[in-house]
Amino acid sequence: MNKVFKHIIYLFFIAISISVYSQDNAVKGYKIVGDEVVFTFDIRDYTKYTNEKTSRRIRVESFDITNVVVSGEFNSWSRDKWQMNKVDEYTYQLKKNIDDFTDEFSWEFKFIINNSYWAEPNKKVNNITPAVDDYGYNLNVFNLKMFTAHPNENGNACFKLDGYKDAKRVVLTGTFNRWDEDIFNMNKTENGWELTLQVNPGQYQYKFIIDGDWVEDMRNPDKVENEYHGFNSVINITEPFTFNLEGHLDAEKVILTGTFNDWSEEDIKMIKTSNGWTYTAELLGGKHHYKFIIDGNWTTDPDNSVKEYDYDGNINSVCIIK
Amino acid sequence: MHKYFICILFYFFSISLANADDDDEGSITFSEAEIINEFTTRIPFKLIDRLLVVEAELLNKKGNFIIDTGSESLILNKTHFKTQYSRGKKSNATSGVLDIVDNPLEKRLKQFVLKDFNITNKMSDVIDLSHIEKSKKMNLLGIIGFNILKDYEIFIDLHLNQITLSKIDNQGNRLDKLQYLEKITDSINFFLKGHTIILNGVVNNQKVKFGLDTAAEFNQINKSVNKKVLKYFIPKKRLELVGASNKKIEVLAGKLHRVKLTETIYFGPMYTVLTNLSRMNDAFGTNLDGILGYAFFEQKRTIINYKKEKLYFVNYPIKINE
Repeated sequence: MNKVFKHIIYLFFIAISISVYSQDNAVKGYKIVGDEVVFTFDIRDYTKYTNEKTSRRIRVESFDITNVVVSGEFNSWSRDKWQMNKVDEYTYQLKKNIDDFTDEFSWEFKFIINNSYWAEPNKKVNNITPAVDDYGYNLNVFNLKMFTAHPNENGNACFKLDGYKDAKRVVLTGTFNRWDEDIFNMNKTENGWELTLQVNPGQYQYKFIIDGDWVEDMRNPDKVENEYHGFNSVINITEPFTFNLEGHLDAEKVILTGTFNDWSEEDIKMIKTSNGWTYTAELLGGKHHYKFIIDGNWTTDPDNSVKEYDYDGNINSVCIIK
Repeated sequence: MHKYFICILFYFFSISLANADDDDEGSITFSEAEIINEFTTRIPFKLIDRLLVVEAELLNKKGNFIIDTGSESLILNKTHFKTQYSRGKKSNATSGVLDIVDNPLEKRLKQFVLKDFNITNKMSDVIDLSHIEKSKKMNLLGIIGFNILKDYEIFIDLHLNQITLSKIDNQGNRLDKLQYLEKITDSINFFLKGHTIILNGVVNNQKVKFGLDTAAEFNQINKSVNKKVLKYFIPKKRLELVGASNKKIEVLAGKLHRVKLTETIYFGPMYTVLTNLSRMNDAFGTNLDGILGYAFFEQKRTIINYKKEKLYFVNYPIKINE
């Protein structure tokens, strides 16, 4: 009895280490770089292929490849439309603009070799969805997820985590990726971990997942209580927005004022140009009321049709950052 | 044994305590709302996928509500509003485009306060919406439907991402003396069948009966609609949808072209799914050829007046300052 128990414990640990091991595998098949979705097929990642016509599986170490095509929901599983380019001995790539994908949030795709052999992804890859073909065979497909944020070295939000040098894997998760637990792997740096994202303006909540443990950002004092009685860190992403006022060249001073600076009457002095006045402000995501003060006279933006009353019955111009 | 008895006694005592403040329950407040005056308030929404979601507080809980003209009543999520709030069972199916739900526990709110607004004796249903929370990875307290919205003129503005509620009298006239500052460019009459807004449109010279629904993430067109109409439906891919009853259906998604409501009110291609609406029609109590949802509001800033049975439209501004 005791032996059986030991075995169970042993098996239990094997299971845990396998699952930990499987988590080391990052998202495969694609990555998002800047404004582009880059599909990548590395022949070394695949050992099994399924014949399109016969549904027979073949195992090959080396495959005589004439072409590789990305086939998925985004191109109605076309076998020939999205042909990839060979970049080196093992790797094929195809870059697509991110705008081609905005209609949906999650897409399924696979790679097809020589227009007739489906490359079967490894089950341990994180972004895998089980699927069944018309004959009931088990298949796996890659899952491509689109979020309002994506990793980009030159992005507008840099996330840093100090320490945890012994951690195997750190994932950044938050409202910008619907708390996805796999997709935004952080990169190891000298002092800890780091990842830069390109995010739409707005307020977001986030956490780090350090080898499975959810941890808030200790460097960031801005946080809110979450439904699990813990805390989520909060980040505000701003965007530059340019206000223009045409004409009024004989005015001495034009002030830009609004909800973004608590209607300050001196904070923002607009800059005179050859045909009017301009100022670029960093604004948070959301709606902002504003007005111009031209030599002491408050006025709405004549070139903006969007106006609203405020609580006191004043009419303000309105802009939106999203 | 004695200990258990004390525990049980304490339990009942705390329940009676919890129920003691019953008189305060049933008021809803929108923490982010801008109150313009006693009749009008603007509530910002965020988009979760294509759902319009507002933040509100009800029965001491703060969280998200979906704005859903396709839902007949206020629906509260059972996950957050346990059965102690319900006043008995009633077998009655709640209908809405999210899907058909079974045997909701009916609940009568004593008072429903939209900040300064009082709405008494609104019916509400308590049902399990946890699967929406899971699939959308969001916290969801409930769904605000027709019986709450009908007493207001509702401006659904996907430009400023806000809903303006303005109290109306029995004839549908706004009680607020302040008019909209943006020009109303067009209007159209609709029919109200139960709680459903019905619009008569034309596609390829064929009459098409649409329901208008703020919580329909995708427009829908019925499979059994005249073939001439389907000629203008260009399919793009297959899509899996999950309804409020947690049933998955696979649908064909694409774009519906050349939808026209009048000679002056027409639409660019709208993202639409081809579905079997017969079950949905039971819920709506009428035969619909299609449902217009997010894609409609994406193209038209729309004001709904249930009492006048009329829609008004405001133009999107020409992009400024960019």
